[in-house]
Amino acid sequence: MDAVNRTVAKLRWLAAVLALAPALTVHAQQATEPAVKAAFLYKFSGYVEWPASAFPAPNSPVVIGIAGSDEVAAELEKLVPGRNVNGRAVLVRRVRDAESVRGVHVLFVGRGEGGARALTRAAHLQGALAVTEVDRGLELGAAINFVPAEDRIAFEVSLDSADKSGLRISSRMLTVARRVVPRL
Amino acid sequence: MNLGQAVNRSLRIKVIVLTLATTIAALALSALGLVLYDLKAYERQWSNDLVTQAEVLARASAPALSFGDRQAAEKDLSVMRVRPQVLAAALYGRDGVLFATYVKPGAEAPEFPPTPAPDGYRIDDDELVLFRKVVENGEPIGTVHLRSIYQPWGRLRDYLTILFVVMIASLAVAALVSGWLQSAVTGPILEVARLAREVRERRDYSLRARKTTEDEIGQLVESFNNMLAESGRRAEALRLADQRKDEFLATLAHELRNPLAPIRNALEILRLAGDDPAKAKAARQMMERQVVQMVRLVDDLLDVSRITTGKLTVRKSVLDLQSVLRDAVEIVKPFIDARKHRFEIDLPAEPIAIEGDRTRLAQVFSNLLNNAAKYSDPEGEITLSAAREGRDAVVRVRDKGIGLAPESLVSIFDMFMQVDRSLERSQAGLGVGLTLAKRLVELHGGSIEVVSDGVGKGSEFVVRLPLTYGRLEAGRGDREPGVEGRGRRILLADDNVDFVTSLGELLSARGHDVRIAYDGAEALRTAEDFAPEVAFVDIGMPKVHGYEVARRLRSHSSTSRALLVAVTGWGQENDRKRAREAGFDRHLVKPVDPGDIDAILDSP
Repeated sequence: MDAVNRTVAKLRWLAAVLALAPALTVHAQQATEPAVKAAFLYKFSGYVEWPASAFPAPNSPVVIGIAGSDEVAAELEKLVPGRNVNGRAVLVRRVRDAESVRGVHVLFVGRGEGGARALTRAAHLQGALAVTEVDRGLELGAAINFVPAEDRIAFEVSLDSADKSGLRISSRMLTVARRVVPRL
Repeated sequence: MNLGQAVNRSLRIKVIVLTLATTIAALALSALGLVLYDLKAYERQWSNDLVTQAEVLARASAPALSFGDRQAAEKDLSVMRVRPQVLAAALYGRDGVLFATYVKPGAEAPEFPPTPAPDGYRIDDDELVLFRKVVENGEPIGTVHLRSIYQPWGRLRDYLTILFVVMIASLAVAALVSGWLQSAVTGPILEVARLAREVRERRDYSLRARKTTEDEIGQLVESFNNMLAESGRRAEALRLADQRKDEFLATLAHELRNPLAPIRNALEILRLAGDDPAKAKAARQMMERQVVQMVRLVDDLLDVSRITTGKLTVRKSVLDLQSVLRDAVEIVKPFIDARKHRFEIDLPAEPIAIEGDRTRLAQVFSNLLNNAAKYSDPEGEITLSAAREGRDAVVRVRDKGIGLAPESLVSIFDMFMQVDRSLERSQAGLGVGLTLAKRLVELHGGSIEVVSDGVGKGSEFVVRLPLTYGRLEAGRGDREPGVEGRGRRILLADDNVDFVTSLGELLSARGHDVRIAYDGAEALRTAEDFAPEVAFVDIGMPKVHGYEVARRLRSHSSTSRALLVAVTGWGQENDRKRAREAGFDRHLVKPVDPGDIDAILDSP
């Protein structure tokens, strides 16, 4: 009798663990902010239209430059292998200064980067999509800026900045943006 | 409402009902096909529509899914508000977890499946449930789920309502149209029905239906008119036949009554002047003539019944036509002489062989001769001639008497037909002679016709009989009945006292030993001692009837070999057969001809 009870108790425990397991896993996947931002950076490239001159060849890869956030760069490097955007492979490049912005299509300027304004300006010149993660990031010249939302990460878009880089951002993406700064 | 209206109504209603039933059947069938097609089309259209919605929704909500923006996703889903059929919508994330939902305002929140199903739709009760993957940049990033109202039954109900209205309208129109057109069909039929009723009520066969069309109805009208004409003819013929029969009965009564007065007078003479041989002889001769006349009448009467029942038969043998004609002449000669006619007979020297019934043929020719004598004024001219013409023997009886009107040439052969009823009654006869003659000649395979130039110009009857090449039978009637015949023991049994007594005396006078019995029992008692050689037995006797008498006589040793002769009033084949079965050797029909009795007694 006692043995049976114990067995039942064990089974209940097991069932509870099994029931909770998927929830835990999902939670774990959603957990880290750098990983979400890395995924967003990759996805942004799908909604942005570069001029044909931005790529040396029709199958040239999309290059995502990361400045000032090793965590995001690391997450992105984990994410991109095997993926592509509109038939282009995706490359990750760590960016140190304005010089190395050349050839980059998406430039993420992390919180850790001091020269954000110079980098965004370089992005404008190089025709890259500048992404920041600071307050008033759009005012710094970024086309997209991550903003914290209640339980997740949101972003805001400046069409004016994108215009300066010679880029067009799909209106579909704008439906999810927190704030959109229109063209001037 | 009388019967006519009922018939009217029923036929009209039948035609209308026929039209309506056809209309209903056709409409119902086409409606069924239409409904089935529409249900299928409805499902396809509805599902296509929903797939399109899902497609649009998937594309619109892809960014929201991509960037995990639940609010944006819910906003995207809420677009479904403009589609009131959509009850609920949901987005599942890439990981299969419910991401955003939409429920139609006012609707009860459904239970969303915890995980999305594969692409496609299914019908769940009265909902259409659809799942569709959201693919962005070649990658599945989530699933759209839509639930929509799916109520084909509501649509079906609408459809049936419309159909019902259409059907009612169609039926009304069909009823109107058929009501309008049916008169072309029913009109003539109703006319015929009305006419038939009128004919029945008024017994007027001269009415005719109007023929308005050439189709089957026209044929019906025509046939109906023909039948009316035929019925009219038959009714008229029946009326005439009935009238002739009445006249015949009147004539018959008269004819039978006529000889009785002279016979009664003769009896009175015999009673008063029994001693005077001359007066007695005259009286007896008068009675004989009258009796012969009565016998002839009754014979005619029997023949009439045989003709009407179709039992007139002839017994054929090969005959010499001349001898038959001589027999006939012998019968009629006294009457011709009495009328003082000039009578010429023109017969070929060599015999003409025919096959027939001697008595019956003699009856035919004596009849014709008798008519010739009767319908000629006294001292007229009568010619009898016979000749071979091709394969026929032709007998002509010509007179210069009252002749026949052209319209009588055919009807003269009808039963009870007499040309001139104003003639003296004693000559009139029963009006069956020519009918009988015609039937008899036809039974011999021959024909009879009459030619006359008109009333008062005489007439000629022509009888044709087929020739035969058989051997002639020996002439009959050459031998006189012998008074000197061998005496026999004869038993006479009959309850008709007069008949049996007179016959007994006749036979005794001829040398026979005669015993008489007045009933069956007495006949048997007498036969026991007497052991007759010949017995004439009446069938309809009291106590023991004739058949039984014959059976007992046959079974008794002393009379088992006696010649048994049945004497009856019935000469039908059935009666003869029954008599044979009872043991009778011969069969005589009353009134018995003494010649027949002699013939029987003379036979070995």
